[in-house]
Amino acid sequence: MSTKSLLDEWRQVRLAIDLIELGARLQVLETETDLSRARLIRLFKEVRGMSPPKGMLPFSTDWFITWMPNIHSSLFYNVYLRLREDHGCSRMSGFIKAYRLYLEQVAIDDADAVLGLTRAWTLVRFFESEQLQLSSCTRCHGRFVAHAHSPSHDYVCGICQPPSRAGKTRKRREQADAARRVPPALEASSQA
Amino acid sequence: MKTNEYLDEIREMNLAYLLLAQRLLHADREEAMFRLKIDDAMADFLFSLGAQQLSRLANTNQLLCQLGHDGVEPLRQVVDNPREQGLSHFHSSLLMASRPLSSSLSPEEGRGHVD
Repeated sequence: MSTKSLLDEWRQVRLAIDLIELGARLQVLETETDLSRARLIRLFKEVRGMSPPKGMLPFSTDWFITWMPNIHSSLFYNVYLRLREDHGCSRMSGFIKAYRLYLEQVAIDDADAVLGLTRAWTLVRFFESEQLQLSSCTRCHGRFVAHAHSPSHDYVCGICQPPSRAGKTRKRREQADAARRVPPALEASSQA
Repeated sequence: MKTNEYLDEIREMNLAYLLLAQRLLHADREEAMFRLKIDDAMADFLFSLGAQQLSRLANTNQLLCQLGHDGVEPLRQVVDNPREQGLSHFHSSLLMASRPLSSSLSPEEGRGHVD
């Protein structure tokens, strides 16, 4: 380990900081850098001001197939693929840039970043181990995350054809109710 | 002959596009190539242009930048989705990101043959 150059070590620390800032769990850092666990924990505390959360990482591919997570995952993974395949980014540099571009699009809509960085990383790993594939939507031609080997000849994506209960969570309903309560007041003031 | 009233706007748009492309490439090359949908050689070329060369490219009666989408049907899904859930910006972004660079660059494909 003493042969490691200072410059290389600096790059590793820089990468770890970028990942921690974007919300990476310790397992991501341990896999993607050569830094020791003890140093990573220290770094995490310095950057985030708290100890890294404990516990296992999510390990199922199913989450990426559910409605809203699928849409977010698909946007992120398409951006990642473009950067890797078309624009020559290295794996981790492409990953970080793609995640930032994804967050940017989310921010435009003032939406929640459904896909956390650690989830995004497990997504990439699932593609690398060929447990997931991209299927083309037959209506919009967008490419969406799907289980590997699932048939895709009549696939329609979750944006073109949302599931019937999509967007009808309690939170959404309450927001909609709140919005409906506003108009009468506006009506009254416009009549005055 | 009367000059086209849109001509100035087109030339301004072209110049603004080229200048923005250069600033994007300066800030982060790969990210800029993704946003602009251009390859390595084009990135090098655009980045290397001086003020005079930029204005030479910009002063035409046609737009320099092209639509980043494939065909009408996918776009119709974005703007006229009957089951729209407030995801149209996301959809538009995803559709463009779904297109490999090669699909927008290869001149042999997707163009009418001239016999």
